[in-house]
Amino acid sequence: MSEDRSRILNMLAEGKITAEEAERLLDALEARDGASTTSGEPAIKGDPEPLIAALPKYLYVKVIAVNGDNVDVKIPIALVRSGLKLTSLIPSKAMDQINDSMSEHGMSVDFSNLKPEDIDELVGTLREMEINVDAKNGDNVRVYCA
Amino acid sequence: MNVPPIVLDLKVASSARRPVHLWLPLFVLWPLALALGLVALAVAIVVDAVLLLVGRRYHHYSLLLVRSFAAIGETRGMVVHFSNEKTAVDMTVQ
Repeated sequence: MSEDRSRILNMLAEGKITAEEAERLLDALEARDGASTTSGEPAIKGDPEPLIAALPKYLYVKVIAVNGDNVDVKIPIALVRSGLKLTSLIPSKAMDQINDSMSEHGMSVDFSNLKPEDIDELVGTLREMEINVDAKNGDNVRVYCA
Repeated sequence: MNVPPIVLDLKVASSARRPVHLWLPLFVLWPLALALGLVALAVAIVVDAVLLLVGRRYHHYSLLLVRSFAAIGETRGMVVHFSNEKTAVDMTVQ
């Protein structure tokens, strides 16, 4: 096993990165390994930490309404992950009440079906998500990760 | 898990009232939170053990407690800003 590969796996074991991030890094490593066999270049030079540091850390929600209401929220993605993991431990009766209450407000999301691997995938996908809404009345909504 | 939040900075400005600026040193509460958390965890472990022995399906209160603390620890870096014509609220968790 290469040094880079074992370093990524160690970081995964220590919880510094998620399974999704580790998979991406290993894919990048393999891609560069493939390229390096033809070019003779090393796979990853030095520490892969900068690669991890380049991953988005925050989820931003910005709302600018024409009536003057402005909302600007910055949420650590780690908090989103922790929150989602927490939902899997909420007792089923309480979860049913939460789901009912959310569906009453137009959000039909069943959190009881979320599995740990789904959470990692969801958060990984969230990092690549970008939503831009320009309403007819001039309201502007932006959701993105950076 | 990150370092738990150290400071909560809250600013509320309103055209009708005097502006409020709260700087809450959350690190002062850490020892108290730790003590309470440990007591709650001990109780939760006992409850979980009893629930397991009785044969109840749900017996994860201790894990729920630990994950709740972990989630609180991850709030560091959160920023909430809201403003309209009359009020502006800024909250930063550092």
